[in-house]
Amino acid sequence: MSGIIDDELRETFVAVADILIPAYGAMPAASTVDVGGAPLDRILTLRDDLLETFIRGLAAMAGKEPEGAARALNESDPGALATIGLVASAAYYMNPRVMQLIGYPGQERRPIDPDAPSEYLQDGLLQPVIDRGPIYRPTPEQST
Amino acid sequence: MVSVNKGSKVAEVLIVGAGPSGLVAAKHLTQSGFDVVCLEQGERVDHGSYWGDKPEFELMIQKRWHPNPNVRDLESDYPVNTSESDVPILMYNAVGGTSIVYGAHWQRFMPSDFRVQTLDGVADDWPFTYEDLAPYYDEMEAEIGVSGLGGDPALPAGKGPPLPALPIGRMGRKAAEGMNKLGWHWWPAPNSIASRSFEGRNPCALRGTCRNGCVEGAKATFDVTHLPAALKHGLRLVAGARVREILVNDQGLATGAVYIDRNGRERRQLARAVIVCCNGVGTPRLLLNSKSSLFPDGLANSSGLVGRNLMLHPYSTVVGHFDDWLESWLGPAGQPIQSMQFYETDTSRGFVRGAKWHVLPGGGPLGGPPAPGRPFDEAWGPAFHQNRDRIFGRSFEWGIMAEDLPEEANRVVLDPELADSDGIPAAKIIYDYSENTKRLSEFHLARAKEAMEAAGATSVTVRGLMTDRSEHNTGASLRATGHLMGTCKMGNDPRTSVVNQWGRSHDVPNLFVYDGSVFVTSAGFNPTGTICAVALRSVKHLIADRRNMKVAA
Repeated sequence: MSGIIDDELRETFVAVADILIPAYGAMPAASTVDVGGAPLDRILTLRDDLLETFIRGLAAMAGKEPEGAARALNESDPGALATIGLVASAAYYMNPRVMQLIGYPGQERRPIDPDAPSEYLQDGLLQPVIDRGPIYRPTPEQST
Repeated sequence: MVSVNKGSKVAEVLIVGAGPSGLVAAKHLTQSGFDVVCLEQGERVDHGSYWGDKPEFELMIQKRWHPNPNVRDLESDYPVNTSESDVPILMYNAVGGTSIVYGAHWQRFMPSDFRVQTLDGVADDWPFTYEDLAPYYDEMEAEIGVSGLGGDPALPAGKGPPLPALPIGRMGRKAAEGMNKLGWHWWPAPNSIASRSFEGRNPCALRGTCRNGCVEGAKATFDVTHLPAALKHGLRLVAGARVREILVNDQGLATGAVYIDRNGRERRQLARAVIVCCNGVGTPRLLLNSKSSLFPDGLANSSGLVGRNLMLHPYSTVVGHFDDWLESWLGPAGQPIQSMQFYETDTSRGFVRGAKWHVLPGGGPLGGPPAPGRPFDEAWGPAFHQNRDRIFGRSFEWGIMAEDLPEEANRVVLDPELADSDGIPAAKIIYDYSENTKRLSEFHLARAKEAMEAAGATSVTVRGLMTDRSEHNTGASLRATGHLMGTCKMGNDPRTSVVNQWGRSHDVPNLFVYDGSVFVTSAGFNPTGTICAVALRSVKHLIADRRNMKVAA
């Protein structure tokens, strides 16, 4: 596979992503929703400010047992582990299957009816606030 | 070599900065027949470039659309040294200014805000009252198309917002139920977000992306609300024009400005009067950079107060987590409801003044960037999923906007080393929380925690005042506020203020400041509504008084 990072670093990323985001209940592990594929390239293209730290962290973990390497990186270079985690999380949560599983439709449109009566006026939710009356201190004198 | 702007004649008025106050001034001046040039260091924003309708939204707001210029690091931004500040800053440099990324909480100050010395014995009174400003609040709300519900008992009776309130949603309702249990004030919040079609803007669709670019075209940004009318009436807008200094003549009158265009050329725009609208950091920076033999300490600075009394609205939050599914990524964001229950002074609490509270949505699943160094087993592995299940869709915050009292030690100065990409000395902020702010925040956090628990929160996360200055230039400060106010205070006494009640410099009679720099106190409210009302009051006075204004020949 080719792309914005080489195959070895990509494999390292996928292995570590599965440690950071494992399967859990109904939720899939990171690798099963292709976090190391096209989403990774898109994220690193859009956020090239992350690239240097991302690669630094992966290079430190390449060829090592993933969980131990990730835990060690969190101690030795916490910024790099956080960056790798951010990239993995972003790829994970942009996946349509994951979004569906957690009930997130994205920042979708939810058109409103501005003329619909407000529930808080109809059911009395706001009434106690109205009934208590003013809570401000008035101006003590008028300007001259 | 400095060249005069090609084809430029001497403008009647030069406005520096095309943010909210600058474009309010531009619209009203041009409509009254003034010949106006506006110089803006940023560019026009392509609203189609926002990410709110794309899956990458949460990723992009941590960098490109972050409200902190030090995080965005765009060419059009200038760096601000915040290494000696407790609070990071919020601004956006473009046509429309910070309204591009503001939260659109369109607030009025309360009557006591203008009389803090008389009522509470602190700081100074403003040179006018709430009642003096109320007609300008009314007019700005009509120009902007504010959505809200009239009759809030935290304010004197008045017209109320012109558009219906936005829905308060499940989050607002949940929060309101908690406040009712405690007998505390809450009210559907005012937002400068259209609830129905309004003068070319679309109605809000609750995407919740307000602070990082409204893709619906519902939020009021001043490149949309005020620029078109100004251009129609002849405004000459020069974008990408970074002003280096205000020019003065031998008589001590402002004669224009020197700016650098995007080709790196120095140019000069001459004018008979100059209005500075560069915000509470950019304005003192420009005045301090405008040194001359007549004004060796910077322009309009005989009081020594240019840059002093910086107020930033220290911010803290209590996040409540609920069993109920609240769809808490939905807008407005914006604010569904607000509370001024603890706004007014009660000295038995151990501090003066107070804070506005507002409900903010919890956002999407990605949230802010993970905190580096968080214990592995708290952040990753099964905890990754457990945290999301507890928080996502089920959380919102009570944000606490503390009134920040002016202190001369809190200030904007010129950085001796840092400069922008054109070599103009950058601003440095020196700012420490006051003891009053710390006590205020502690009290309000405790009350907001009670409010969350009364609303049925199963757990709460308390985020007190930001204390880690190392986070200022990272996306970690995504929610931190740094409203910019007070650095060219207005007042009647030239010894203790920079401009008079109409924004005119005490020292330079044809130099004006209309942005949040002129605030005498900060109040505990988001400032844009008051910045614009004060700017409108000032520019209307200038227009009415045009024949008496002393101008450069």
